[in-house]
Amino acid sequence: MISDERNAPLAGFTVVEHAEGVAASYAGRMMAVMGATVIKVEPPGKGAALRRAEPLLTQEPAASALFHYLNVGKRFVTCDVESADGRRLLGELMARAELLIDDTPVARRAALQLEPEVVGARHPQLVFLSVLPFGAAGAHADYRAYELNVFHAGGEGYLMPNGLTLETFPDRPPLKIYGHFAELIGGTSAVCAGVSALLVRDEVGGQFVDVSVQDANISVGCFAIQRLGDGVLENRHGRSFKYGGVLECCDGYVGVLTLEQRQWEGLVKLMDDPAWALDPALRDPLERSRRGAEINQGLRAWAKTQRVNDVVRRGQALSVPLAKYNEPADILESEQSKARGVFAPLDLPAFGAVPAFTAAFQFNGEALALTWAVAEPGADNEAIWCGWLGHETAELEQWGRHGAV
Amino acid sequence: MPPLRGVRVADFTLHAAGPFCAHMLALLGAECIKIETAGRLDIFRKPHPVYGRMGAATFDQVTSNKLSVQLNLKQPRGVELAKRLVAVSDIVAESFRPGVMDRLGLNYEALKAVKPDIVMVSVSASGQTGPERGYAGYAPLFGAAGGLGTLTGYEDGPPTEIRHVMDHSTGLTAAMAVLAAYLRKKRTGAGQHVDVAAREVACGFIGDALLQFAATGVTPRRTGNDAPQIAPHNVYPCAGDEAWVSIVVATEDEWRAFAKALQRPEWLTDARFASAQTRRTHRRELDNEISAWTRGRSREAVTRILQAVGVAAFPSYTAQDIVDDPHLNGRGTIKNMVGPDGESRKVVGPPWRFSRTPAKLERWTPKLGEHNQYVFGELLGLSADEIEELVASQVIY
Repeated sequence: MISDERNAPLAGFTVVEHAEGVAASYAGRMMAVMGATVIKVEPPGKGAALRRAEPLLTQEPAASALFHYLNVGKRFVTCDVESADGRRLLGELMARAELLIDDTPVARRAALQLEPEVVGARHPQLVFLSVLPFGAAGAHADYRAYELNVFHAGGEGYLMPNGLTLETFPDRPPLKIYGHFAELIGGTSAVCAGVSALLVRDEVGGQFVDVSVQDANISVGCFAIQRLGDGVLENRHGRSFKYGGVLECCDGYVGVLTLEQRQWEGLVKLMDDPAWALDPALRDPLERSRRGAEINQGLRAWAKTQRVNDVVRRGQALSVPLAKYNEPADILESEQSKARGVFAPLDLPAFGAVPAFTAAFQFNGEALALTWAVAEPGADNEAIWCGWLGHETAELEQWGRHGAV
Repeated sequence: MPPLRGVRVADFTLHAAGPFCAHMLALLGAECIKIETAGRLDIFRKPHPVYGRMGAATFDQVTSNKLSVQLNLKQPRGVELAKRLVAVSDIVAESFRPGVMDRLGLNYEALKAVKPDIVMVSVSASGQTGPERGYAGYAPLFGAAGGLGTLTGYEDGPPTEIRHVMDHSTGLTAAMAVLAAYLRKKRTGAGQHVDVAAREVACGFIGDALLQFAATGVTPRRTGNDAPQIAPHNVYPCAGDEAWVSIVVATEDEWRAFAKALQRPEWLTDARFASAQTRRTHRRELDNEISAWTRGRSREAVTRILQAVGVAAFPSYTAQDIVDDPHLNGRGTIKNMVGPDGESRKVVGPPWRFSRTPAKLERWTPKLGEHNQYVFGELLGLSADEIEELVASQVIY
């Protein structure tokens, strides 16, 4: 837990999150865990559709692990932005916030008075962080897309899988990375942009920041573009490491990758200097590259006789880059995770305190905290609409009767 | 003017993850000075035979917009110069194995002594603390240790390597964190040390699965391209060699539009496809039917037909598709740059559009030590004779 709240770098900032999708919700999450007050605006009633998205913690009522992960530490208000009252309330939130996260499709923004020009004119100090699959401008701006689509739009989809998975199933379609990888990349990119805009807000005022999940994925996949410039169009069949990669041990899988000579030599030693690996020709990295299939044969036969934890421990002692393909249980129970404090207790309805992942980084040696778990849609209506914005409880009740909140 | 114009980064990073972090800062306008030595080149400046080729890997892209200086940190005077550079910088980025900066006398405490408000980001495989802090690693191993590679794969197959996107997503995450720390420094005057662990970045991509397991004890499994509640949800073959299109039909409205677009009204009364759940059960039959339709059409035609009725479809883009795409060229996602030998080449520009403070890709990859004179002469105030002597002594090396 953070002992000094000043280590949470976004403390003091208020963010309004009007978002349905994973990318924008993740941007809000990361701002919340870094200390910002993030107010999530959902439609009245059942709230965001993501509340019922897989993977589920409970079936009835459907409680989404994904939603809990993405929305930890936020405040929850409801507001029907289709109504005039709802739009006015959203405007009041924007007037008090430093940053708005919005993923309303471009074609719907005019009806909700969420066009960048309108928002900019009404709230000149507000950073409007737009997070959309293909961005807010361009021929594809209104294209519909889910995780699988943006993953393939970013280029990495075409290049997956490689190595053992591809060798095992060479004729299957390209493979996606688990979960919402592409959208979380989009959300991370959005935070970079949003924080950058906050950095210059005192000097230039608010501004519109257009973040595209596709752009973000092309950026992290820039390797393929550089290779194209070198005259090579990469595909999944030609991208495998020539040797190493996923190895099946007798009790699980490890990954190994030796880019440097000393790492290869360490690997040979780890295998107890087998005769095939001591071939003097294999000291040459180019020869190893040429004879990758033969090396893999030897590596894989050896790995089958090894236990995962043992081979990782001994290999790392020899500076051989090796890692276990960890299951969630391994990660939660590992001494490394415990020492780093990357899981913090989160109170979940029906489960009590559950260890939840915080973030992949620490400030001044302290893991980040998770302030509170997801609440029901509108759980903070009273606190935000009345306590923070100064409306009367009677107004809140009236909006409730009209369906505006 | 880009948001980080006027911010200087002393960039000690190597390989891919750390340099990508500094690359993001450079795109945002920071003056990013990459510190290298001919004594031990960044492995990404060197050929990579394990990839089966002799060219450098991502070096050119992630070093674009940066300046390059040579500094031999094995010499005490090299370390002293590094400290002088930090003293005139705002951010330090490094990605050595934990312990190396300590040994060099360049850890956070030492750098804070020369620049009290310095913001420092350290990027490593497992973080600066913990029993496995010294573990060596590369992208696929971060994905393995963090569980992302374990959950990626076909349900009847092995776990799968996550490639350089794992490195770069680590760098992107590091950029996010160090930007937040720099914002705090700007407001409070206090620096921070940001410790980023690549394997934890991989954990962040499976945060939902980790939470599900922690709460319910149910171990998530590899599911290929399938989604738990959605079908169709797959990648389908199109006309041409290795031409694929991704299609996702997530709602009942989309399902009706999809059946109509494929001219298959009978699907709407077929009990196998009556609900998302039954479509999921019969997804392989559905996939076969859809493949038969897509196989005779181009990726672009399938995308056009389905997007016109509000169904999410998009080609599986190759790098060539990306650089040729008018949407991406129009957004500046892809840019033309002139390389060191005068050749024009396509590169990836900044992934954000700021209305008032646009990020920019202005400069191609520097040659090793290209900016020695500017940094050691102009910034640090060394005379030409001093620089010459430091070069001769292999301090600037």
